Amino acid sequence: MNSRIVYVAAAAMMEAALALPLWGFAMSAPQYPDETLHLQIARGGIVGDVHEVETLQQYIGVRFPTELPELRWAVRAIAALAALLIVAAFTRPRGVGRLYRIACAVAVVAFLAASAVAVQSRLYRVGHERDRHAPIRAVRDFTPPLVGPVKVGNFTVWSFPHAGALILLAASALSIAGARRTVA
Amino acid sequence: MKRHPLILIAATVVATLAGVHTFGCGAARSARSLAAEKVYVPPGELDKYYGFLSGGQSGSVFVVGVPSGRLIREIPVFEPRAAYGYAMLETDARRQLLESTGGLWGDTHHPVLSEKNGLFDGEYLWINDLANGRLARVRLDYFEADRIIKIPNLQGAHGIAVVSPDTKYIVVNGEFEQPTDGLVTNPAPYTSVVAFVDPEAMEMKFEVRVNGNIDIADTSKDGHYSFSTVYNLEQGRDMGSMIQYDRDAVAAIDIPAAEKAIAAGKGDVRNGVPILDPEKSEGVLTLIPVPKNPHGVNVTPDGRYAIAAGKLSPTVTIIDAHTLKIVAEPEVGLGPLHTTFDNRGNAFTSLFLDSQVVKWNIDKAVTGTSDYIVDRINVHYNIGHLQAVGGDSMHPYGDYLLALNKLSKDQYVPVGPDLPENQEIIDISGEKMKLLASFPTPPEPHDATFIAASVLKPLVHQTYTPSADAVQAGHESVVRTGPHAVSVDMTLIRSAYTPDAFEVREGDQVTMKITNVETIRDMIHGFALPDHNLNIALPPGYTKTVTFDAGKPGVYWFYCTNFCSALHLEMRGRMVVQPKASTVTLTDWHAAENVKGQLVPGVPSTGDKR
Repeated sequence: MNSRIVYVAAAAMMEAALALPLWGFAMSAPQYPDETLHLQIARGGIVGDVHEVETLQQYIGVRFPTELPELRWAVRAIAALAALLIVAAFTRPRGVGRLYRIACAVAVVAFLAASAVAVQSRLYRVGHERDRHAPIRAVRDFTPPLVGPVKVGNFTVWSFPHAGALILLAASALSIAGARRTVA
Repeated sequence: MKRHPLILIAATVVATLAGVHTFGCGAARSARSLAAEKVYVPPGELDKYYGFLSGGQSGSVFVVGVPSGRLIREIPVFEPRAAYGYAMLETDARRQLLESTGGLWGDTHHPVLSEKNGLFDGEYLWINDLANGRLARVRLDYFEADRIIKIPNLQGAHGIAVVSPDTKYIVVNGEFEQPTDGLVTNPAPYTSVVAFVDPEAMEMKFEVRVNGNIDIADTSKDGHYSFSTVYNLEQGRDMGSMIQYDRDAVAAIDIPAAEKAIAAGKGDVRNGVPILDPEKSEGVLTLIPVPKNPHGVNVTPDGRYAIAAGKLSPTVTIIDAHTLKIVAEPEVGLGPLHTTFDNRGNAFTSLFLDSQVVKWNIDKAVTGTSDYIVDRINVHYNIGHLQAVGGDSMHPYGDYLLALNKLSKDQYVPVGPDLPENQEIIDISGEKMKLLASFPTPPEPHDATFIAASVLKPLVHQTYTPSADAVQAGHESVVRTGPHAVSVDMTLIRSAYTPDAFEVREGDQVTMKITNVETIRDMIHGFALPDHNLNIALPPGYTKTVTFDAGKPGVYWFYCTNFCSALHLEMRGRMVVQPKASTVTLTDWHAAENVKGQLVPGVPSTGDKR
């Protein structure tokens, strides 16, 4: 495949990913048979069964972050990365162009790593920065993993990358592949 | 060593007896296990059918799962029910309707389901109030009574039936005869009517006069005839004179002929309803002679026959449902009351005096074959109605039959002199009937009907879509709307009322519009107000408006009656009723320090232990 197409596709996918939910959470408990609660982190904030989850959170003192600054940064970073990748599409796979492409791949990987750290840190804070006067005392502080389950009181909460994040990963893979083709 | 022969004989006898005993017990146990397995619905699994049982003098409808016999719900209809917040307050429109149409009580007898193409479609259920001449409709998407009407010109709304196959009318039989002129100013002869009600609009269409006491109803499967048993053609006014004639009748009303006569203006309008006099409109009414004082009439699923039960006669009368000719009158047992059907050409008739269900083959009875009786089974005791699943539709399922017995006697642990009613579930899938299980209910189911869970379950809503006038979270208010009127818009959600305190004055009329803003199923909140005769239940999304007198000055804690959450007990709030002359405000109340409870020494009362 033409490396130009690869880069343009990667840039387009990165922007498109933002239209879809990025991360998902599925919450199940014995008294919610056949009605697992779902939350998604999307560009606009938290969506899904927000009403019900907020109703439940008051008992254990968990609060939804009203602001997600890391999301704003991520949107900007993605826009910047997309711009870098578009430029990469017009570079030649030799000399300076080659160096530029490698730099792009490094930037993408750095972005992914930074995002993972930011999300994990946010998840830690959600489970730890709780209202100490919440009525139910039995629930200990918790840290949802990036991917996988955590037990919160009577709930099992699963975290997983949603469609947006998967497309972002695919776009990253394409941009790294673009660099690799050149190296090879 | 020589053994004494007597010892050997004794040993043999003992061994044999032991063997018989063991074998006998094993067989009994395995029969029990098999029966139990047929009605056992493990926790978490669902019943195959919804059963709707009339509540009789409870004025309601009982919803029972079949085959488990578990009571799942009571639908209040003609009687207020605090637990469901149904028709409680004097200012409640439903309560006012009940009061103005006969009272806060009803005697429900016959639940019937809406039909489409002869199949139960799960849209509506109708139920009569015999005592006060009313008909109610229950919406099955929400399991709530949505319309109640008074049937004019009759007393004792007894048998009701859906006109098959597409629910054209609901037929309502007037059992207690009334003066023909509708008045008591002149000594007029008595008569009664069969009423035809529009099922959608719940409006009267027309009535047909029938002399006598009109009892149980059914309709032909093509919708051409309604059939009603009629006793006391003598028009006797005491018991002795009601049983003089040798034969009474099944009244067959030709529905298209009646419609034509009504369209031609032949009805005499009384209380806004045209009444047809069969003597002036030929062909509308046919009286088919049956043994005196009959009771039930049931049309076979294939629509060929209407079967009238003899009650005082040990027979059933089989009537051709198209020609209206009697084709056979076989003996079935003592006190036949009602008949139901399986999908293999068999009829099941309840025998009140014999305390039995008798199974008989319809074709054999019609052709006069001597072995038409297939089986008999004892029930406990004095069975009234019986209903096989789908036996009242064109497509019986042929698996279970419910016997609704009038007396329970020794069937349950004694509970004082007022004994429960006894329902028995019978397996009719084989040649021989098998009694599987029984369950008691409060008084007093008369009749039942069933619908497959696979049909109804998908149509049932478990939360309400908030109405246009629902109170929105964040838009709650307390507004004085007049010198003696306060309006409160309130929302509730786990575990709080908003507002959780408001004040009114002695002499105020308080109007509260309350919305449960929960969105998750089964999260029902109550609103109980002490000393105000007020409890309501609000399912998710539901809005209820109540108006009540503020009452005596005082602090009244309203609280949640439906256990909802970990802070259910804390879910409450105050209505402060100020004396007329008081100048204290709610702010003063908030400022006032409460008397604190005693603390346990050594345990910190505030802060976080972590």
